[in-house]
Amino acid sequence: MDLTLIVVLVILLAVFFDFTNGFHDTANAMATPIATGAMRPRVAVTVAALLNLVGAFLSTEVAKTISGGIIREGPGGVEITPTMIFAGLIGAVIWNMITWLRGLPSSSSHALFGGLIGAALVGAGTNSVDFGVVLSKVVLPALLAPLVAGLVGFLATRLAYRITRRPVGKNQRGGFRVGQIFTSSLVALAHGTNDAQKTMGVITLALIAGGFLGSGANPPFWVILVCALAIALGTYTGGWRIIQTMGGGLTDIKATQGFSAEASTAATVLASSHLGFALSTTQVSSGSIIGAGLGRRGSTIQWGTAGKIVIAWFITLPAAGLVGAACELIARIGVVGLVIDAVLGAGVIVGIFVASRRKPHEQSNALEVDVAMNSVLTRSERRSLLKKRGDELLAERRRMSDESSLFELGAEEEVR
Amino acid sequence: MINWGAFLLVALVSLVSAGALVTIYASGLRLLAVDGRPRAAVVGAYACFTVCALGVLFGIYLIVPALHAS
Repeated sequence: MDLTLIVVLVILLAVFFDFTNGFHDTANAMATPIATGAMRPRVAVTVAALLNLVGAFLSTEVAKTISGGIIREGPGGVEITPTMIFAGLIGAVIWNMITWLRGLPSSSSHALFGGLIGAALVGAGTNSVDFGVVLSKVVLPALLAPLVAGLVGFLATRLAYRITRRPVGKNQRGGFRVGQIFTSSLVALAHGTNDAQKTMGVITLALIAGGFLGSGANPPFWVILVCALAIALGTYTGGWRIIQTMGGGLTDIKATQGFSAEASTAATVLASSHLGFALSTTQVSSGSIIGAGLGRRGSTIQWGTAGKIVIAWFITLPAAGLVGAACELIARIGVVGLVIDAVLGAGVIVGIFVASRRKPHEQSNALEVDVAMNSVLTRSERRSLLKKRGDELLAERRRMSDESSLFELGAEEEVR
Repeated sequence: MINWGAFLLVALVSLVSAGALVTIYASGLRLLAVDGRPRAAVVGAYACFTVCALGVLFGIYLIVPALHAS
């Protein structure tokens, strides 16, 4: 009974974590095409959601360990109990919600590691965590990822502008919008195959720990399905605050930069996942965007925002860890502690959600208006209004980005 | 402790592949923008776009584990 309750709670929470992971990371792939008008916001998040859904089914090779060696788990080490997983997940989810509220892109996997580390420190003592691995797998990559991605993004942007420059006549760079659709989709697909898998791994390990599956079992189909749906739904919900930060808060992105940034993100993420040096997609993506911002002459970077993001990266692990540790402390009381944890966690999550509604971030104003509008207008009125607004918005974006539109490139380009 | 060799390799490969993709795609766009749109330029442009499409397909190949089962 006791164990069943924990496993059920872990599964529910893991699915919710998957959901927050989805909307937290939509921005990695879709912030730049939305910002340059390559895709309408709704279209962009729909495409990303579908690719995440597909991606989740493509790869079910679940990691052997949840923490990738950070916690000395397995034979000869400590045993990660479902309670620890539960406490760690609460830490990860709460930190994801907080950064979302502030519109900060931070790595969901680092939040998960942080929560688990916190829970393991309390639950199994200081020996349970391998701090050398923390340094080499979390802290140093957090420094290196944006540097590499920034350099690649900067050079790619420089190249793109240099090559498309015309000595006479207007530069034609609208075609980069078409390219953006492909590079962004690639990033979204890669995200789906990576991140849904983590949650599947967590749930499977919880099921094994609870004795519902034999050790070394593959995730049952319903786990894969639920994880895929949760991450896709989260992506579709769209973390608009983070999209705003990445798409406009860091620097004004034009089509050429958007294409270069997303090409760099895709290249770096794929290289890192296949050549044995894992980098966080979120950090790579932010770095590429900053690099692309530096690469265009006359563009400015909001270093204040960039600084906040970097600070958030470095707080992610300890902050999620603190929450995880606190939850583990409470959970050690027993079943009552677990229930207290669950109620507290749910309370904080609802509280953050209410705060996001009541005090709409100035950036998400447009979205709030949309919601309000939906309640007074009829369907067709709403649709025509939305379309008109969408067209105006698109026209405005095109005007601002001052890079000739797709349609000037000729009919055959549009077909492609 | 940290695998600098792997890191340098990742940095180099990302730099080269992203650079190549952007260079080829941008060349394609530039060729489309050649005055008067001579036939050769248009053909060259579409050749560039095709190479880029192949690059994207290679990316998908890398992402889907079933395609390169080890």
